[in-house]
Amino acid sequence: MNEEKIKNLLIISTACFMVLFSLLPFAYMVLTSINAAPDFLAKGWNLTFENYKNVLGVESLHFLDYLKNSIIISFISSVATVFVASLAAYAITRLEMKGKIFILLFVLGISMFPQVSMIGYLFKIMVYFGFINAYPALIFPYIAWILPLSLWILVSYFSQIPRDLDKAAMVDGCSKFQILFKVLFPVALPGIFSTALLSFIFAFNEFIFALILTTDYHSRTIPVGIALFEGLHGQVPWGQIMAASTITMLPILALTLIFQKHIIGGLTKGAVKG
Amino acid sequence: MKIEIKNIQKEFKTIGRRSVNVLRDINLEMKDGEFFVLLGPSGCGKSTLLNIIAGLENPTGGKLVFDNKVVASGNKNECISPKERNVAMVFQTYALYPHLSVYENIAFPLRIAKMDKAEIDKQVRKSAEILHITNHIDSKPSELSGGERQRVAIARAIVRKPRALLFDEPLSNLDAQLRTATRIELKKLQRELGITTVYVTHDQVEAMTLGDRVAVLKDGFVQQVDSAINLYEKPANKFVAGFIGFPNMNLFDVEVLREQEKLYIQFEKDRFYFDNSSVKAGVKYCMGIRPADIEVASDNENILKGKIDTMELLGKEVLLYVSSNNMEFSIFTHKKGFKENQEISFRFDQSKIHFFEK
Repeated sequence: MNEEKIKNLLIISTACFMVLFSLLPFAYMVLTSINAAPDFLAKGWNLTFENYKNVLGVESLHFLDYLKNSIIISFISSVATVFVASLAAYAITRLEMKGKIFILLFVLGISMFPQVSMIGYLFKIMVYFGFINAYPALIFPYIAWILPLSLWILVSYFSQIPRDLDKAAMVDGCSKFQILFKVLFPVALPGIFSTALLSFIFAFNEFIFALILTTDYHSRTIPVGIALFEGLHGQVPWGQIMAASTITMLPILALTLIFQKHIIGGLTKGAVKG
Repeated sequence: MKIEIKNIQKEFKTIGRRSVNVLRDINLEMKDGEFFVLLGPSGCGKSTLLNIIAGLENPTGGKLVFDNKVVASGNKNECISPKERNVAMVFQTYALYPHLSVYENIAFPLRIAKMDKAEIDKQVRKSAEILHITNHIDSKPSELSGGERQRVAIARAIVRKPRALLFDEPLSNLDAQLRTATRIELKKLQRELGITTVYVTHDQVEAMTLGDRVAVLKDGFVQQVDSAINLYEKPANKFVAGFIGFPNMNLFDVEVLREQEKLYIQFEKDRFYFDNSSVKAGVKYCMGIRPADIEVASDNENILKGKIDTMELLGKEVLLYVSSNNMEFSIFTHKKGFKENQEISFRFDQSKIHFFEK
């Protein structure tokens, strides 16, 4: 065997291991969701779609409400976050101002507060505004919570866009806002897409804020909803939990697949000498 | 359009609060329809000057005048935006919009100017035709070669009929052959369009071949403004003399002395007599002589003696590196049959010696 083959073999086997390692729990999840009993490995296979029927059909479980809440809250949070972060990233990378790095570090510092340390005050504030068990109770904290990360990603993305593009646009007659909306945003689109997707996933998976700031299916999100699934007689309904988790996975999976092309990016190729 | 640059200064403040004077006192005038080249080594401020003309940067002092109208000065209120100046610029990095097709790239300035759609289409196709890129009009910039990209950039610059065309080292990213070809086309294009053009380069060959006039910049000052041939034949100072021309001019510090009526330069061993009414005896000068203006002598009259260290064959000509009188001379000659370590004698063409005051 020559070196090239060994290299390929190592790459493939490592990739396989990593994929298996991360996908195994998902496989287990999917298998449990389509089995009548959770201990199918011991008791033998008994394929059924009963769990899915229950999750989607039984109204008292409110699964579809949770899903709807999650999607709406995550969508609004991520769009708002990315919009604010893009403007901030433009300002930080393109405008002349002092102490940019301190702003970035300050923002990063804020993101390091543990969620638990804030939750008490957050609860009081939301009670004061009357937001408890309403969408804004989650949307506002999510925006604040995800903004630092989005800002850092977008700053690094914007700073890779050559300055000559700004100059060219300016000479071509653009105002500062036209430069932003007609040149920089379209060029940074892959970065903005992936940041938005990341923000969406963050908001979609968030647990502790959602647990404390919501009380029932009117605004409760999926992670909390699933965690609080209860069986009729106190037993844990593994099958239904897994079915719900599997369905929950689908929107994220779909988003990733749809925007895969944009996430991979490479759109700036050809802007300047390549 | 006539561009006048009057006492333009530009000072940058760095982080350590040190200020850097990039342009100290620039005075230039570009005539209507002229191809004007700004030439200088990197860091001489030529790109900054171009940015000031384009309106991408504001000067900290002086005035910039387009056709008798002040467009920028040390007073920020007098600086008008690039949009109102109606100048176009071509960048070294092409700076094409990567998300737009070639057609949309060229159309971009017209769309910003909110031109009528049919008119945009007409103008874009016309520019594309002039630059021979009609075949690529639907491609993305990433699908084009370097030369094609630069054509698109030039098409985008000329499409809105600017009052001035600004080029910032546009050919530096192209390979040597393409550079020469594009250079010739660029010159032709500028002649046809008749638009005042300011072209920044550090490449003296580009400057000499393209420019109607060339300004040589160094350390924020204009060293000389003249036609290419005058820069070569009558350099104003030592810097211009050394910067322009290949192979580089021989430059030495010498003292001119007088023996009765005759002026001469005393080298370590040899003595060279010459005639020149503009220099004074007893004064120290920097003397310059181009390698092509040194003649390999076959007689013994008024000569310097030396030994060939190395030589380079440049096609028909030979470039000799000769050590003589404890100095290094380069000599450019058509004669053949030299060998290394050969003893030779040579003399300067008296009329071609340059004396620069120290």
